[in-house]
Amino acid sequence: MNPRRVRAVAKRIAEQFRRDRRSLGLLIGAPILVMSLVGALWGSSTAQVSRIVVATDRAPAPQLVAALRRSPALAVTETTVDEAMRRLRDATVDAVISTRVGFVSTEIVVVMEGSDPFRSGTTLQSIQRAVLAAVSVPPIPGAPPAGPPPVVVEYLHGGPDHTLLDLLAPLLIGVFAFFFTFLLSAVSFLRERTSGTLERLMATPLRRAELVVGYLAGFSVFALIQAVVIIAFTVLVLNVKYSGSLATIFLIEAMLVIVSVSLGLFISAFARTELQAVQFIPVVLVPQIFLSGLLVPVDQLPDVLRPFAAIMPLTYSNEALRGVMVRGLEIGDPVIVRDLLVLAAFGVVTIAGAIASIRREVA
Amino acid sequence: MSAVEGSAAGSGAAALVATDVTKRFGSVEALRGLSVTVREGEIYGLLGPNGSGKTTFIRCVAGLVRPDAGSLALWGGEPREAVAAGRVGYMTQAAALYVELSVEENLGFFAALEGVDGVRQRIEEVLRTVDLLDRRRSVVGTLSGGMRQRVSLAAALLHDPRLLLLDEPTVGVDPTLRRDFWDHFRGLATRGVTILVSSHVMDEAGRCDRLGLIRDGRVLAEGSAKELVARAGTADLESAFLTLSEGATA
Ligand SMILES: Nc1ncnc2c1ncn2[C@@H]1O[C@H](COP(=O)(O)OP(=O)(O)O)[C@@H](O)[C@H]1O
Ligand SMILES: [Mg+2]
Repeated sequence: MNPRRVRAVAKRIAEQFRRDRRSLGLLIGAPILVMSLVGALWGSSTAQVSRIVVATDRAPAPQLVAALRRSPALAVTETTVDEAMRRLRDATVDAVISTRVGFVSTEIVVVMEGSDPFRSGTTLQSIQRAVLAAVSVPPIPGAPPAGPPPVVVEYLHGGPDHTLLDLLAPLLIGVFAFFFTFLLSAVSFLRERTSGTLERLMATPLRRAELVVGYLAGFSVFALIQAVVIIAFTVLVLNVKYSGSLATIFLIEAMLVIVSVSLGLFISAFARTELQAVQFIPVVLVPQIFLSGLLVPVDQLPDVLRPFAAIMPLTYSNEALRGVMVRGLEIGDPVIVRDLLVLAAFGVVTIAGAIASIRREVA
Repeated sequence: MSAVEGSAAGSGAAALVATDVTKRFGSVEALRGLSVTVREGEIYGLLGPNGSGKTTFIRCVAGLVRPDAGSLALWGGEPREAVAAGRVGYMTQAAALYVELSVEENLGFFAALEGVDGVRQRIEEVLRTVDLLDRRRSVVGTLSGGMRQRVSLAAALLHDPRLLLLDEPTVGVDPTLRRDFWDHFRGLATRGVTILVSSHVMDEAGRCDRLGLIRDGRVLAEGSAKELVARAGTADLESAFLTLSEGATA
């Protein structure tokens, strides 16, 4: 070991870093960005408020309803069982509470919407607390508290025969597609820019829009192959249960990939090296993982973060993929239609950005 | 594409007319009022040292760079129009190819962009021209620098362009093949193809019909190699270039 040579190598690395201000900035800035996200997400105490419906035609005991109403974590409405179940299917409420006459006693029946495992967990916890609170208040002052009534929990989607993976795998398909196509398109278009082939292409009859659409088509094919492989693997090897039509899943995927690829092409204009392109991951992708409903339901996000979730493509693909693959929604369902339209709007913006970024370089 | 039969050494109509073209990159003035006229069927050589603006001018002609001032027309129209019509072939200074793809795949791609008919046969023809037919299936990344130059030239020739832009085409190409290249260029010019070629190699310059000596983004002197040597009163083109550029800066 020659200390002088070692020092020379270390010094060179420091000098290169100094020239590459962006790497230096990201080294410091990216953790700060991610930590402040995490801080805002989990550091604040905005607890989830679950929307539950109490069936009026099969109402549980009044003191239970009162206890449910007293819970700050529950927003309680009352309506008929039929109407309540309809709202549950639309996922506009999280749980329906009613009663059923059993052999021994009257059971309390909680039907969970169930498509979002994190939301379900919190909701069920809040309901169980309220049930316990209700029985700990004796009906007659001084009398011993009655034993807790039997509670039967049922699931519209998911439930005990579903694992966390069943409910999250659909979203992961979107995340993988976004991640890889964004990264690969950013890097390959960066190469196109730096190796001179982009300029060479601009000296042919090829139009910029044709180039962008060609990239979109090429990458979409690979993203769909990726989706097929992931779905097949999760179904056949991991025994994940899905519903929904494959065609609808592909359509959602394709829309998402159009956004991620054109975003990758656009972003590549702001990188000079492949390393710099990779550095966009913590900026573009990590916030989407945190805010797009994968870990925390979007409507439970702290107020400061909700607007960010609204401008993230993964928010909409997650909702759509969960809708189709967990809730079994059809392509014509208003939720799916809206998500596809929003993704299309993102696509228009990012494609325009990609085309404009080509003009920026080539006069 | 009608092959306008240009009689010898560019007595045809003007293919390229550039007048007082200027281009600035930040603080660098790459072109400072460059004027050049190239006739159909003529081989025009841009001769000048590194950094004199040759590549920048060729990029202007290829429609890749918009001049800040001055005018530049190909057959009386915008460069972009001529490019879009497939009338321009551009061989870049550093071979711009997809290194992961084979020679054939690269050429197939450019042929498709240029709308070439009978692609397979045409690829074979241009590869024979650059003497690379036996390497058609080689991945470009495994080729030497000179071979890549040849693939790059082949790509520029694919669609039989009326104007060929060659930016230092023979760098890294061995002398025998270099001579073959120039024979081929002459053959194309005889068929009416206009060629704008840049070089800083003086012995190549003798094969051009006319030369523009470029320095600091301007044409210092113009004429055939013979004329320039005579005007400078020197023994060869290299000293002529030095004499003429000193005269201009003095
Ligand atoms: N894209 C660019 N950005 C900044 N400067 C440039 C750019 N292209 C060329 N230049 C500068 O313009 C001058 C002319 O360059 P160039 O046309 O490549 O010369 P040549 O091809 O004769 O060697 C050089 O000083 C070069 O550094
Ligand atoms: Mg050059």
